[in-house]
Amino acid sequence: MPVAFGIAQRQLDQRTSVISCEGELDLSSAPQLKWMLLDSIEAGHTQVVVDLSLCTFMDSTALGVLIVVKRSLAAGAQMAIVTEHASVLKIFELSGMDGMFAIFPTLADALARPAQNDVAEAS
Amino acid sequence: MPRDTSERPSALRPARRLATTACVAVSCFGLLALIPAASARPNHVSRTSPAPAVEPAPAAAPPAELAPASPSPASGQSAGPAAPSQTPPRPTPKHAQRGGANQTPAVGGSSRTGASGGASQTAAGEDPSQTTTSGDPAQPPAHRDRSQRAHARASAPTKPAASVESSPASAEQQSAVLQESTAQADAGRQRGRGHHKETAGEGKHSRESGKRGKEKSKQPAPPSAAPEEPTLETAVPAVAAAAPVTIASIEATPPAQAPVQDAAQVSVAGVSAQALDSPARAAGHGASHARAARVPRRTHRALPAASEPALAFATSAAHRSRASASKDARGAHDGGSRGGSSPLVRTITTIVDVVPTPVRLLIAGLLALALALAARSYLAALRARSLERQRAQLLEDVGLLQAALLPSPPARLGPVGTSVAYRPAEGPGAGGDFYDVFALEDGQLAVIVGDVSGHGRHALPHTALLRFTLRAYLEAGLSPRDAVQTAGAVLERQLGGLFATVVLATYNPRERILVYSCAGHPPPVVIGAGPGPAAIAPLTVCASPPIGVGVRTGTRQTVVSVPGRSQICFYTDGVTESRVGTELFGVERLVDTLIELGADASAPAILDSVVRHADARPDDMAACLLRIEGGDDAPSVLSEELELDGEEIASERAERLLLACGVERSELAEVIRSARAAAGRNGTVVLELHRTDGAPHVTLRRDRLAYLHARRASVEAAV
Repeated sequence: MPVAFGIAQRQLDQRTSVISCEGELDLSSAPQLKWMLLDSIEAGHTQVVVDLSLCTFMDSTALGVLIVVKRSLAAGAQMAIVTEHASVLKIFELSGMDGMFAIFPTLADALARPAQNDVAEAS
Repeated sequence: MPRDTSERPSALRPARRLATTACVAVSCFGLLALIPAASARPNHVSRTSPAPAVEPAPAAAPPAELAPASPSPASGQSAGPAAPSQTPPRPTPKHAQRGGANQTPAVGGSSRTGASGGASQTAAGEDPSQTTTSGDPAQPPAHRDRSQRAHARASAPTKPAASVESSPASAEQQSAVLQESTAQADAGRQRGRGHHKETAGEGKHSRESGKRGKEKSKQPAPPSAAPEEPTLETAVPAVAAAAPVTIASIEATPPAQAPVQDAAQVSVAGVSAQALDSPARAAGHGASHARAARVPRRTHRALPAASEPALAFATSAAHRSRASASKDARGAHDGGSRGGSSPLVRTITTIVDVVPTPVRLLIAGLLALALALAARSYLAALRARSLERQRAQLLEDVGLLQAALLPSPPARLGPVGTSVAYRPAEGPGAGGDFYDVFALEDGQLAVIVGDVSGHGRHALPHTALLRFTLRAYLEAGLSPRDAVQTAGAVLERQLGGLFATVVLATYNPRERILVYSCAGHPPPVVIGAGPGPAAIAPLTVCASPPIGVGVRTGTRQTVVSVPGRSQICFYTDGVTESRVGTELFGVERLVDTLIELGADASAPAILDSVVRHADARPDDMAACLLRIEGGDDAPSVLSEELELDGEEIASERAERLLLACGVERSELAEVIRSARAAAGRNGTVVLELHRTDGAPHVTLRRDRLAYLHARRASVEAAV
C-alpha cells in the first residue's frame, strides 16, 4: 500500500540548502528526492543537507539516488545526511555507505560542522 | 500460378486454403472461358466494327473457334464419318478471309456447298422433301457433307439473331449486298432453289428486302468493290464468334422457321458479295462465310425473311470445322462423331459459348484478381512462416540471453544441493538481478548473487559484464574479497555510471568452510538444523560499498564454519524489501521462512513464500540456496576480515569493527597502532578477527593484491 511521502526544500543561505523528507524513501519516492537534489546542486548550492529525521525507512533505491547525487557533486561541494533512525542507519551500514556519507544525528550537527566531517568521512 | 497455389494447399491455413481453392476453381473456369475468347478475340476485336463487337453473339466462341488457325483438316476429319469421301483440303479460313473473292476455286466449292447446305437445312427442319436434296446424286458426297454443316451454320444465327441489335442502316446496307449476291448465287444454284421452292420464295423475299435496304442505305456494294469493302474484312473474324452461338442454339432449341429465315438471309448476304465479286459466281469460302456470320448481327432486323437456298451460301470451308462441332452436337442429324472431343468438353464448351463478352471480360478480370489474391495469399503465408521462424529464433535467443544471466545450475554440485530462483518485479524495476552457482576446479563451490542499479534492459550488458568478470576471478583462484576488490577497481569505469551490489562466496566441502564477501549487498542467511541459534549473526559494520560508486570496495570478508546440516541462502534486496502491510518483509521473515520450509526449502519455494506473504514487490527477487548435509552442529563465524589503508585506520571504521567483534577497548589502541605501522609499509593491512572460542584474536596480515595497488598508483600517476 502506498505510504505518504513528503519532501521539501529550503534554502538557508547562498550555498546551503536543506532537503527534508518525511515518510518512506523507496522506489516510488526516490525519484523525487533525486530531482530535488539535482536541482539544488544545479542552483549552485555547495552544501546540501538531506534531512531524513522524519524518514522511517529507506531502501536501496534511495541509497542509490544518494550515491548518484554524491558522485555528481562538483569539487568542493558537500553532502550531509541527517538521521537517527536505526533502520536507515542499518541500510547505510549494510551497504558500506556509512563511510561514504557524512551522517549526523541532528540537523544542527550537520550545519555546525559540515566541512570537517565531509573531509574526514569521504575519501 | 494457380498451380503454384494448389501445389501447397496443406501449408496454408484453413481459411486461406479455402480461399485458394476458390481462386483455383475460378481460375480454371476463367481459363476455360478465356482460351476460346482469347483465340477469337484477336480477329474479333481487330476486325469487327465497334458496334457489333459488343453483341453477345460474336462473343461466344467455341473450341472450334480455335480453328481459324486449323481449318480444313479439322473439317475434313470431322466430316469423315458422315461422308465416305473426306472433304478435300481447303484453304485455311484465314486465307479465305484474306483472299475473299480472289479465291476462285474455293468460291466454286463454297457456292455449291451453300446450295446443298440450304437443302440439308430444310431437311433438318420441317420439309421432308429435303432428304432428296441431301441425297442428290449430282452433289458430290463431300459437298453433301459440307452442305449439312452449312445447314448447321446457316441455322446458327437463329438464337443470336434474336438478341442482336445493330444500326438499321448498316444492317440494311449489308443486306443489300447480300441480296445482290444471293441473286447471283441463286442463278448458279438452280438445284438448291428448285428443291426448296418454299425457301426459295422466302429467299426472294429477303432479296427484295435486301434491295430495299440497299436503296435506303444508298451505299451499294459494287462487285468490284466487294473485296475491299470493310464489312468483308471485318466480317471474317466475326465468323469465328458467331459459330459457337450457333452450336449452342442448335442444341438448346430446334430451329424455328423465322430464325432460320433470318439466318438464310444472312447467308445470302454473305455469299452474294462474293458472287458479285467473282465471275465464278461464288465468293471465297472464308469471305462468304465470314460475311454470313457477320451479317446476321446487322441485318436480322432489316431482313425478316430469308430463302432456304440462301442458307446454303452461308456455308464456307472455314465454317466447316465449326459446323462440324454443331453437327457433332446434333449427332442424329449428322450421323457422324467428332474425334478427340469428349461429352464433358462439349458440355463445357456449350456452357462457355453462351457467355457474353462482358461476362467473359468479367471472368477474366476475376481470374486475374483471383490469381493476384492467390499470389498474395501465398506470399503472405510464406511471410507468416518466415516470421514464425524468426519469432522462434528470437525466443530462443532471449532464452539464451536470460540463461546467460540467470543460469540453471544442476540440482547438486558435489555434496551440496543447489537451487536458484528469480521473480521479476511487478513494477518498473524489472531486470538487473543476476546469479551464478558453479563448481570450481579445486572442488569448491562458488556462488555469485548481485543486483545492478539502473534496472531494465539497459542494465543487461553491465549485468552480464559483472557476472562473467566475477566468475572469471573466482575461477582464477581469487578469494571472494579479492575478486570483489579487483572487480571494483577494474570495472568502475566500464559500468558507465551504474553501480552494483554483489555477494561472492566459495564453499569448501572438505573443510566445510564458507567464505563470502559483500559489496553493498546483504550477507547470506546461514541457518543450522540443530538446536541453538537459528542463524548466524553476521557483522555488517564496515561493510564494503557497492562496485562502481567510486570508492574502494572488497574490503570485508567473512569466514563461516558449517560443520552440520545447514542452509545458506543468498538473496537480493528485492526479497527483504518486499512489503508486508506497512513493513518490510525483512531478514527475520526470511529466516522464519527458511525454518518453516525446513527440509523442503528451495530457492523457488522461498520466493513463492515471499510472493504469498508480500503485499507489494517493487523490485526483482533472486535467491540462491545451498543445502549442506551433516549433523546437528550449528554454523558459526570463524573470522571477519577488514582491509584498511592508512587513512581508514585513522577513521572510526576500524575501531567500530574491532569493538563489534568484541575486542576490548583496552586492546584497541595497541591493535590500531600495529595496523597503522603495517599499512605504512605496505599501503594496506588486513585485520583478521578470529571470533572462535572466547576472546577474539586479532591478526594482521598483508593483503595479496599488490598488483592492484601498483595499478592504482600508476593510474593516479597518469592522471
